[in-house]
Amino acid sequence: MKTHTSKHKLTWNQKKQLTGLLFLLPLTLFLAAFIVYPLVSVIFYSLFDWNGMSQMKFVGPDNYKLLPSTEGFWEMAKATVIYAIGVTGLVVLCGFLVALALDKRGKWRVNRTLLRFFWFFPCLLSGAIVGIIWRIMFNFNGGLVNFLLNQMGIKSVNWLETYGVTMAAIIIASVWGQIGMCAIIFLAGLQNIPTDMLEAADLDGASEFQKKMKIVIPLMAPSITINVITTSIAAFKAYELPYTVSKGLPGYSTRILTQRIYFYSFSTNKYGIASAMSVLLVIVITLISLIQLYVLKKREDIY
Amino acid sequence: MKKKTLMIASELFLLFCTALCWLPIYYFIISAFKSRKDIVKYPLHIIWERFTLGNFSYVWKNMKFAQSLFNTGFITVMTLILLIVISSLAGFALSRIKGRFFRTYYSVNVALMVVPFISCLLSLVMLSTKINLYNSVWGCIFIHVAWHLPFCTFLYSGFMSALPMELEEAAYIDGCSTFQVYFQVFLPLLAPITATCCIRSGITIWNDFLLSSTLLNSARKPTLMVGINSFFGEYVSEYGYAFAGIILASLPISILFIFLQKYFIKGLTAGAVKG
Repeated sequence: MKTHTSKHKLTWNQKKQLTGLLFLLPLTLFLAAFIVYPLVSVIFYSLFDWNGMSQMKFVGPDNYKLLPSTEGFWEMAKATVIYAIGVTGLVVLCGFLVALALDKRGKWRVNRTLLRFFWFFPCLLSGAIVGIIWRIMFNFNGGLVNFLLNQMGIKSVNWLETYGVTMAAIIIASVWGQIGMCAIIFLAGLQNIPTDMLEAADLDGASEFQKKMKIVIPLMAPSITINVITTSIAAFKAYELPYTVSKGLPGYSTRILTQRIYFYSFSTNKYGIASAMSVLLVIVITLISLIQLYVLKKREDIY
Repeated sequence: MKKKTLMIASELFLLFCTALCWLPIYYFIISAFKSRKDIVKYPLHIIWERFTLGNFSYVWKNMKFAQSLFNTGFITVMTLILLIVISSLAGFALSRIKGRFFRTYYSVNVALMVVPFISCLLSLVMLSTKINLYNSVWGCIFIHVAWHLPFCTFLYSGFMSALPMELEEAAYIDGCSTFQVYFQVFLPLLAPITATCCIRSGITIWNDFLLSSTLLNSARKPTLMVGINSFFGEYVSEYGYAFAGIILASLPISILFIFLQKYFIKGLTAGAVKG
C-alpha cells in the first residue's frame, strides 16, 4: 500500500485507496476485537491449566491429551456424530421431497404460496422456543405425542428418559425446525431447471421416475451440496434446541459437543478443557467448510 | 383418468403432511387459551366454553414481559443500524476498489464466516468483563454486530460488484470524491440488499438465546428468549404459561412474515443459492 507520500500531493488513485481503507476501519475494529481476538485467545487458553482465578499454568498440549479421558467424552463424540448425521440426512431428504411436491403447479392443486408459508413458518421460531414446544409435547404424562400414540393403541413411550429414544426425540425436534429452510433452497434450484429439458424427456417417453433420476437430481447437485453442508455445520453448532428438549439426559446420551463446551466453560470453570474442546469444534467446522469449497470448486471446473 | 386420481392422491398426501407439520403450532396456539387440566385431557380440542386469557395476563405481569420486549427490540434495532452502516461501507470498499489488499481482506472476511460462535463464547465473556461490557446491553449489541458483520459484508460486496462500472465512472468524471460516489450513487441502490440483511440478521438476533443468557446475567435485563426459558424453568408443569409466552414472543416476527413473506424467503435464501 502506497499510502504515505508526504510532501507530494496524493494521486487520485491513492486517494481512492485511502478512502477505501477508511471505509474498512470500523469493520476491522469489530472483527479484530470480537472475533479474531477471542479466537486467538481460545487457542492460547487451550494450552494452559487454568480455572479463571488461579495462576495460569502452561501445560502445552496436555489439555488435548486429556480430552479423551474426560468424563463422558466418547458418549459425547457418539452423540454429536449421530445427531449431526441424523439431522442432516433427514432434513435434506424431507426438504427435497417437500420441494418436489411444492414445485408442481396446476389448476386443481392447492395454492403453493400458502403451502410454502405453512412449511416455512417453523423456521422463524427461535431454537429455544422450538425446544420448549417439543419438550412439552414429548412429556410422558400429558404430552401430545404420547396422547396420539395412545389414541392409535400404542403404549406411551418415555421419550425424554430412555437411552436412544431421547436422541430420536431431539433429532425429530431439530428436523421439524429446519425442513422449511432446506425446502425453500431446493425450490429455488428446481425453478432454475430448464423446462425444455423435461419436455424433451416427455417426448421421448420418459417416466416421471426416470425424469427425476436422470434430469432433476443431477441438475440439483449444487443445491444438494449446499444444503448438506449448511445443515451439517448448523447441526455441529446447535446448542439451544437439543439442550432445551432433553437437558443432555439421560446419562450422557444426548450431551453433544456444544453442551460440553458450555458446561466446562461456565459450570465447572475448567477453562483449559473448555478451550481445547472449542478448538476441536473449530477444527471440525473448518474441515466441513473446506470440503464444501473443494466440491463446489471441482464442479465449477467441470462446467 | 389414472393420472388424475394419482394427482389427487398425491395432493391429499401433501396436505396431510402439511397438517402434520403444523400440528405442533396448532397445538401450542390453542393450548395457550386453555387451563392446564384441559391441555392434558383434551389436547386437540378447542373448548369455547372455557376460553381463557388468564395465561396471557399472568405471563405479561410475571415475566416482566413489557421490559423484555423493549430490551429485545432495542438490541435488535441498534444492532441492525450499526450492522448496516458498517457492512455497506466495507462492502463498497471490498467490491469497488481494486488492489491486492482488498482482495485478501475479502478472503479473510469470508473465512471468518465459518467460525463457530460457541467456541469463542468463553473468551468473549472474559473480554467483556475486562472492558466493562459484561451484563450490559451494549456489550450484547457489539458482539451481535461483530458476528453478523462478515456475512452482511459478503452480501453487500456481492450485490455491489454486480452493479455496472459506468455508474461510478460517470460520477468520478463529474468530480465526485469516493465518499460521494458511495453516498450519492450507491447508497440509494442498496434497498433490496439492506432488506435482506435486516431480515436475516434481525430474525437471528431477535431469537438469540445463547449470547443474551450468558452475557446479560442479571434478572433486570432479560431478553424475551431468556425470559421465557427461565419462566418455563420455574413453572415446568404450567404448559399454558409457556405457550402464552411463546405466542407473545414470536408474534412480532410472525406478523412481519405474514405481510412480507416474499421478501423474507428471498432474504433468507440469499447467499445460499449463489454459494
